[in-house]
Amino acid sequence: MEARLTRISREEALRYLGVRGEPDSVLSRDLDRCEAQLRSAARPRAAWRLFSLAGDGSLAGTSFRPRGEDLRRHLSGCGRVILMAATLGLETEALLRRAQSVRMADALLMDALASAAVENVCDNLCEDLARTFAPRRLTSRFSPGYGDFPLSQQRELCDVLNAGRLLGISLTPGGMMIPQKSVTAVLGLAGEGASAPARSGCEGCGLSARCAFRKEGQSCEYT
Amino acid sequence: MNTPDILLLDGGMGTMLQAAGLPLGELPEVWNITHPEAVISVHRRYAEAGSRVLYTNTFGANRFKAAASGYSVRELVSAGVRCAREAAGPDRKVALDIGPIGQLMEPLGPLSLEDAMEAFREMLTAGEEAGADLVIFETMSDLQEVRAGVLAAREFTRLPVWATMTFEASGRTFLGTTVPAMALTLSGLGVEALGFNCSLGPKELLPLVRELRAWTDLPLILKPNAGLPDPATGAYPLSPEDFAREMAEALPYGIRMVGGCCGTSPDFIRRLGESLPAGPLPLELVSSRRGICSARRVAEDSRLRIIGERINPTGKKRLQQALRENDLDYLVSLALQQQEAGADILDVNVGLPGIPEKDMMVRVIQALQGAVDLPLQIDSSDPEVIEAGLRVTCGKALVNSVNGRDEVLDSILPLCRKYGAAVVGLCLDENGIPDTWQGRAAIAEKIVAAAERHGIPREDVYIDCLSLTVSAQQSQARETLMALMAVKRLGVHTTLGVSNISFGMPERENITVSFLTQALFAGLDCPIVNPNSPAIRKAIAAFRVLQGMDEGGEAYIRLCAELPAASAPASSAAPAASPAAGRPAEEGSPLEQAILRGEGAEVVRLTGEALARLSEMEIIERQLIPALNRVGSAYEKQEIFLPQLLRAAQAASQGFELLKSRLAARSDRPLSRGRILLATVQGDIHDIGKNIVKAVLENYGYTVVDLGRDVPPEKVVEAAVSGGIRLVGLSALMTTTLPSMEKTIRALREAGCGCKIMVGGAVLTPEYALQIGADYYARDAKRSADIAAEVFGAGAEG
Repeated sequence: MEARLTRISREEALRYLGVRGEPDSVLSRDLDRCEAQLRSAARPRAAWRLFSLAGDGSLAGTSFRPRGEDLRRHLSGCGRVILMAATLGLETEALLRRAQSVRMADALLMDALASAAVENVCDNLCEDLARTFAPRRLTSRFSPGYGDFPLSQQRELCDVLNAGRLLGISLTPGGMMIPQKSVTAVLGLAGEGASAPARSGCEGCGLSARCAFRKEGQSCEYT
Repeated sequence: MNTPDILLLDGGMGTMLQAAGLPLGELPEVWNITHPEAVISVHRRYAEAGSRVLYTNTFGANRFKAAASGYSVRELVSAGVRCAREAAGPDRKVALDIGPIGQLMEPLGPLSLEDAMEAFREMLTAGEEAGADLVIFETMSDLQEVRAGVLAAREFTRLPVWATMTFEASGRTFLGTTVPAMALTLSGLGVEALGFNCSLGPKELLPLVRELRAWTDLPLILKPNAGLPDPATGAYPLSPEDFAREMAEALPYGIRMVGGCCGTSPDFIRRLGESLPAGPLPLELVSSRRGICSARRVAEDSRLRIIGERINPTGKKRLQQALRENDLDYLVSLALQQQEAGADILDVNVGLPGIPEKDMMVRVIQALQGAVDLPLQIDSSDPEVIEAGLRVTCGKALVNSVNGRDEVLDSILPLCRKYGAAVVGLCLDENGIPDTWQGRAAIAEKIVAAAERHGIPREDVYIDCLSLTVSAQQSQARETLMALMAVKRLGVHTTLGVSNISFGMPERENITVSFLTQALFAGLDCPIVNPNSPAIRKAIAAFRVLQGMDEGGEAYIRLCAELPAASAPASSAAPAASPAAGRPAEEGSPLEQAILRGEGAEVVRLTGEALARLSEMEIIERQLIPALNRVGSAYEKQEIFLPQLLRAAQAASQGFELLKSRLAARSDRPLSRGRILLATVQGDIHDIGKNIVKAVLENYGYTVVDLGRDVPPEKVVEAAVSGGIRLVGLSALMTTTLPSMEKTIRALREAGCGCKIMVGGAVLTPEYALQIGADYYARDAKRSADIAAEVFGAGAEG
C-alpha cells in the first residue's frame, strides 16, 4: 500500500490557525495558493510493521516495551500491535523553512495545512490497514506523548520501525522528529468482533493542563 | 575462478545477527563485544561464500548511537574490526563500515559539519588503528554527511575511501540529492569508488546506475537490497537466483564491486559470485557529462549558464545594511529572486569593511543552502575565506577567483583541488590587465597550466577575460571579445561580468545588452549578470533561439509571456477593493486597507506616493504604525485572526522596506524602535512561533536579533550582553524543553544582564512563566509587540 495524500482538511487547518468563523476571501485565496505549493513539495511516505505482544508488554522479537497505563488500556484485548510512521518528507520540511525565512505569513498557513496533510496520510494508511486486516478490528492511533506514553520512547519506536532508513525520519538529541510533519503511532489489532476501547477525551489526556486549545476553551478534537 | 575485474563484497549483517538472536531495536555493534563469535561466524560465512571484502559490523558505532550502549566508540569499532579481521585472514580486505550518524545535519537539522566530522573522526581513527584496509560510508542520504565523512577520512587517516548512497526510485535521496550531484561532488573529493547500496532491489536501481555512469569515470559499487520488503513481516522477496540475475544487467555500466544489503545472505553472495562473467567486461557507457552543482541541482557544462551577481555588497547600501544587521533572510530573498529569474549559479560575495568575512561567508552559505537549490560561486580574494566557504558548501562549487600571479595560484588552487571545486581565472597579473587580447590569452594559458599542475582539469577552469568601461577605454571592448575567442580554444569555460561595460553612458542597457550578445557569440558561456533585468534575460533567451539551443523558441516564448514588453500598460493600478476582505478593511486610509488585505505591492505604491508629501519618519509614525495598531486591536477583538495579522504585518513590511532602503542610501544609521533578541531554547527545534513573533516585531519597526532554534543558554547570554539588549524573547514548544527555558533565564540573570525577558510557547502558562523568572508572558505575537512598546516606549531608538 502506497502512502497517499488525498484531502487536506481546510476546517482542520483553520482550527490550527485559530481562525473562527468563515475565512475572508483573501485568506481563502492564500490558503489555496499555499496548498498548491505544499502539494507539489510533499512526498508522503509511510511504513508499518506488525508485532505480537509478549507477556511483559514488549513487542516480540524486539527490545521495545512501550510504557504507560493509558497505552496499556488502549491496547487491552489486543494480541498484536502495528507500529506505524508517516511523514510528508524532508522536501516539505525544506519548503516550510524556506517560507519562514522569506514569507512568514505563507509559512504559517503552510504549517497548518501540512499538519492537516500528515493527518490525512495517517488516516489513509489506517483505512488501508483496516481493510487489510478486516474483519479483525484496529484501534485508533496512539502516539508517544499521548497520555502517559512517554515522548522519550519516540527513539525506540523509530529504531524498531527503521524509520530513518525507510522514511528519512531522524530524531534530534531531544527526541524531536525531523521532518517535523511526521507522525508515529501504535495501533492495537483485536480479534474479530472485539469492540475498540472508547477514547477518553480531554480528561484522560496528559496534556490537558497545558493544552493550547484548552487555554482558548477549545479542544484538539481528538476525542 | 572468477575474473578479478569484479570484486565480490559481502551481504547483509543486521538480518543475519537478528536470525542469531539479536533483538530488533538493539544496537547491533554491541555484539562485537558481547557475542563476538556470532559476528565472526557471519563474516566467515561470507568469506566462504567468496566475499573478497568484508564490511565490519560498525555501521552505527558513532558517539550518538553508542551513548546508551555502555561502550565507547573506540571499543565498539576496535572489536568490530577485530571480528572481521579474524574471518578475513590475509587474503581478504576489511572495510570499516560507517553509516549515517542518525541526526540530520544543518541547515534542516541540528548537527554541524564540524560535529559530524568529529563523530566520524572517532570511528575512523579507531578503525584505522585496529587494522581496517579501507573505509566505506554507506546508506547515506545526505550528501553533506558523506562530505563530512570523506573530509574526515582524508584529514585524519590514510584509508582509501569508498562511498555509497541510498536513493529512492525517483532518483533522489530523502534529502533531494540527485545522482549527478553525488557523482560530481564525491569524484571531486577524491573517493576511490562510489555507488549505491540498500535503497531498492537491483532491478529498480538499474536506471540510476546508468545515470551515475554518465557522470563519473570512477569504479562503481552496487550493493542493493533483496527487493522491496513486505511491510507486515519485513521479509524480502528476491531469491539468490533472482538477485544474481537482476545484478547481471547492471554489470556492463562500470560496476566493479558487487554485494548485497538488507535481506541478502551468504547464499546470495555465493550465487552472485558464480554468476559473474569470466573475462573483462565491455563498457557500454563512458562518462562524459560534467558541471558544477549543489546537492540538488547541476549546472551542466554543455549549457549557457547564468551566474547571478546580486549577492555582492559593493555599491549596494541595502545589502550592506543587511550584512551589518545579520539579516540573512534578506540575502535569502535576493537568492530566491535570482533563482526564480533563471539564474543557474549564484555568486556569493560578502566582503564589507567591519564585517568578519570568513564567519559571514560560512553563515550566508549555510542560509542559502537551506533555501535555494542553485550551485554557488564563492567570491573572495582571501584564501581563508575561500577555504571556509568551500568546506561548508555542499556540492561542487566554483571559486571566484585566481589570476596570473603565482602566489595567488599557489594559495588557492590547492584548495580547489582538495574540495573538488572549479575555479575562475581572471586575465590579469602583477602588471595589471593587459591591453591586448594576446596578453590576456597568455595569462589564461598560464592559469590553465597551473591548474593542471595542481590536478584540476581544464574543463574545471573558467576564464574571465574582464570587461572595462567603454566610456573610458573604448578600444578595450573589442580586445575582450577577441580574448574570449582565443581562450575558448584552450578547452576552458568562460565567464564575464558584463554590466561594467556601460558605466557612464546614457541608456546603459543598450550598451550592456549589445555587448552581452557579442560576448556570447565570441564564446562566453557563463555571463555574470543581474538575472532580474528583463532586458538581460530576453537577450540571453534570444541568443539561445538564434543559436539553436532553444528548440522551437519555446523558452523564449514563455519568457515573453511572463515579462511583457515595457510599453504594455502597467498592471499596478489600484486593484478593485475585495468586498469580502474582512470587516475592518472598510474603514481607514487606503494604506491601512491595503495593509489589512495583505497587498504588499499596493502598500509600496501608496508609501511611494506618500513620500511626495511626508518624510520617511513621518510616514512610519503617522501612517504605518497607526495602521498596524488598528490591525492589532482588530486582532484582540477577534475580528481578525493570526493569519490576517501576519499577512498585514508582512504587507506593512514592504512599506518599511522601501523606507529603510531610502534611509540606508542616505546614511548608515539604521532606523529602529529598539533591538530585541529572540531565540528558541536549547533542545527545541520548533521555531515557527518565534518566527511569527519576529515577523510581527520587525513590522512594528523593531530590529530583531534572531539567534535561531536549539540555542544554548550561553549563546543567548553572550548575544544579550555584547549587543546591549534590553528585551529578550524566548520560545519553547514542547513540555520537554521548558527546563531549558528556565535555565536560560537563570543564566541571563546570573550574568547580570539587565534585560527584560518575555517568554512564549504553546505549553506555557502565565503562572509557569513567572515561576521560572520571566518578566512577561507573551500569549501571542501581538502581545509581544505590546510588551516591546512597554519596554522601549514610543518612538525610535536609533
